[in-house]
Amino acid sequence: MTKNIPLILALICLARLSPCSGQTAPESIDLSKFPGAEVEDVVVPVPSEIFSVLDKLGSPNWRSELRGSLGKNTGNRAQVALLLGTVIAEGFIAVEAEDSGKVQEIGREVLVLAEAINVRKAVIARSKSITEKADAKEWKAVRKEFDGALHDVRGAMEELGDDELAQLVSIGGWLRGTEVLTSIVSKNYTPDGAELLYQPQLIDYFNRKLDSLKNTRLGKDDLVVKIRKTLAAIRPLIGKDDGTKIPPDAVQRINKMTSETVAAITSRKES
Amino acid sequence: MKKSLILLALLAIPVYAYVNDALSFAHEAALPYVKKGFSVREDAWGGDLGVKDQQAVTAQLFKGNEYWFCLGTDVRGAVLTIHIYDSKGKLAEAESWQKGRFAGARVVPAKTGTYYAIITVEKSPEERTGWAVVYAYK
Repeated sequence: MTKNIPLILALICLARLSPCSGQTAPESIDLSKFPGAEVEDVVVPVPSEIFSVLDKLGSPNWRSELRGSLGKNTGNRAQVALLLGTVIAEGFIAVEAEDSGKVQEIGREVLVLAEAINVRKAVIARSKSITEKADAKEWKAVRKEFDGALHDVRGAMEELGDDELAQLVSIGGWLRGTEVLTSIVSKNYTPDGAELLYQPQLIDYFNRKLDSLKNTRLGKDDLVVKIRKTLAAIRPLIGKDDGTKIPPDAVQRINKMTSETVAAITSRKES
Repeated sequence: MKKSLILLALLAIPVYAYVNDALSFAHEAALPYVKKGFSVREDAWGGDLGVKDQQAVTAQLFKGNEYWFCLGTDVRGAVLTIHIYDSKGKLAEAESWQKGRFAGARVVPAKTGTYYAIITVEKSPEERTGWAVVYAYK
């Protein structure tokens, strides 16, 4: 055994060495040594990442998750940004349902809503591509185009200085995505499916962004206030530690809250 | 981070050039994984660091997916590494590599949650070293 120690050590070192640099990665690091903003600002996952996992969990009835109406554009910029997020999320559901007619309708609606917040130019090519690829039933490519549309819309809004509205697009998408995710998980509950909801830092990140809106009018918007309450209510339901089991009743409660919030976004009366 | 990338791009042409170069190399590092069925996100994160400096990129990852984080730098002769840690600060990657301007780390999350990609400039002939990261998933 003693004779083998150098060999074992060498093998352990080899396993941890980068092939060419010889740099080793520490087995653990102190995250508190990093600036707060670095570890608190979470990269928001694109919807495809979640749908990619859902694909592996089974074949839910996606068609039954599609909404009949995509919602009403009231002209209020906060509502339009949130609505745009929900419509892009709807695009992913239509892709899962392999409903090319719905995908094309959503592609056109993305363009209309983008125009309402001055970023139409950024998504013209995407919208065209979504229509063409849906027609050809190239579903993986359509999904990628919706991811790209979300990226382009947010990028264009940030370039225009509308960072806070851009954040609302992400939040709208997250709310609709979470509504569908919880609906699917509720219908066929598994702990693995429910674990997809474990996104504490992302919820905290959204909350911080909404709490620190510089545009006071936006901060006082009824929908924004409602979303803050929804996020605050969801946060304790998803558990505190990685791997915490999220029970069926928590999944159902999150579904109810996100459904109500999405309904408020999509059916808001004109201001 | 993404915002800073856009701001850097707007500030001056030389800065834009090096961020863009680092990004091209990050995409090049991800290319082999695209061929293996991974989808690369269109978002990217980047900046510049001094030697031995580190930067964290925080990401929400999902159990059931597999991820490759790919790093590139515009500085010839620089050695940068990327490693993935979980929310407790424990090394979580399945494998990692570093070669020339490129580096990569693969993670198969054991749990859905928050993970940290830690970028380190191990050595560089420049005072500041531009870097960019993209990630791919399947």
